[in-house]
Amino acid sequence: MPHDALHEEARSDSSYMSEDKRGYRTREVDISMLKPASDDGVQLRLKGVDHSARPTWKLRETVTFYRDVLGLPLIHTISARGWGHPGHPDFLHFFFDAGNGATIAFFYYIGTDRPEKYMPEDSYFYSASHTAWSVDTAEELAQWKETLEGRGLTVSKFTKHEGLESIYFRDPNGYPLEVTRRLRDVEVIDAEDAALTIQAAIEIEDAAFAAGEKMRDIDTVWRRKAKLVEARVGDL
Amino acid sequence: MPRIHVVDVPEFRPVVDSAKARASDGYRVIGPRKGYFTIEKAGEMSFNRKDMKLPPAIWYGIFTGGLNGEISSFGREVVTIIGTNQPL
Repeated sequence: MPHDALHEEARSDSSYMSEDKRGYRTREVDISMLKPASDDGVQLRLKGVDHSARPTWKLRETVTFYRDVLGLPLIHTISARGWGHPGHPDFLHFFFDAGNGATIAFFYYIGTDRPEKYMPEDSYFYSASHTAWSVDTAEELAQWKETLEGRGLTVSKFTKHEGLESIYFRDPNGYPLEVTRRLRDVEVIDAEDAALTIQAAIEIEDAAFAAGEKMRDIDTVWRRKAKLVEARVGDL
Repeated sequence: MPRIHVVDVPEFRPVVDSAKARASDGYRVIGPRKGYFTIEKAGEMSFNRKDMKLPPAIWYGIFTGGLNGEISSFGREVVTIIGTNQPL
C-alpha cells in the first residue's frame, strides 16, 4: 500500500480503523508505511502534559486519596450519558491539578465491574505504566516523602537514577505514582548517547528477529554500543 | 583486552575516577573524546560499587556507554569483565 493510502484507508471503513472509527488499531499498522516528520518538514510542538487518564472503579477512595490525602485540587468533572455510542456506560471524568498546567484524570464508568485484566498486579510490566510528577528540589522531595508517610502512606526509599531522584507509592486503585526531581539538566551528550543506545538495541533486535529469536540480554546491546562508540570516537 | 566506554556525565564519573586511581594496577583511561571516556586494561577489569559510591540504579547500568568485553561476574558490589572474541 502506498504511504498516502494508509490515511485514506483510515478515513474509510478499513480494518485500520477501530470499530468506533476514532483511532488506529496500532497492532495492524505497518509503521514503515508511515511518513517521517522529515518528509513534510513540519515541526510539531508540544508544551508538556495536559493530563493522563485511567479508569477507576473506586470513586470515593480515589477522590479521597487525590483531593484529601495528596491535596491535589479537584478542578473539573465531566458527567455524561456515555459518549453517545450504543452500549457506552454513563460516566464521570474528573481531573485533579498536578501543577504547572498538568492534571491527573480518571474515568468512573457507572454500573460496571472492574474486569480481571484491569486488576493491579505486582509486576514490572504493570508498574511500567505510571505517573511521575516533578518537584524542584531535594528539600521538596524529602517533604513529600515525610508528609505522605505522616499521613499514613507507604512510600519507597529515595532512588537515584541517571538524572533523576524519585520516591514511589501507589494510589487506592493500585496505580503506581512517582514524585521525582531532576538532578541535572539534560545535555547534548545525553541525547547523542541515547541515540547510540537505541540504535544498538534496534540493530540487535533486528538481528534476533531475523534469526527467529528474541534479544538475549543487555550485554549484547552494550557490545554493539561499544562498536558504535568506537566508530564515533575513532582510533584509540 | 577488555575495554569499556563511559559517557561523560556526572553520574558515571566515579567509574572513570576509580580507573584513574588504579593506573598503577594497569587501568588506562583515555579521553574524554566526543563525549566518552575509554577505560582499558590487560587481563581482567573490575569495579566495586561501594568504592565508587554508585547508587544501585546506576550500578546496574554501568556499561551503558559500551562494553568491548564480556561480563564474567556481576554482583551487587563487584563486577568483573574480561576480553572476548564475541562480535561487537
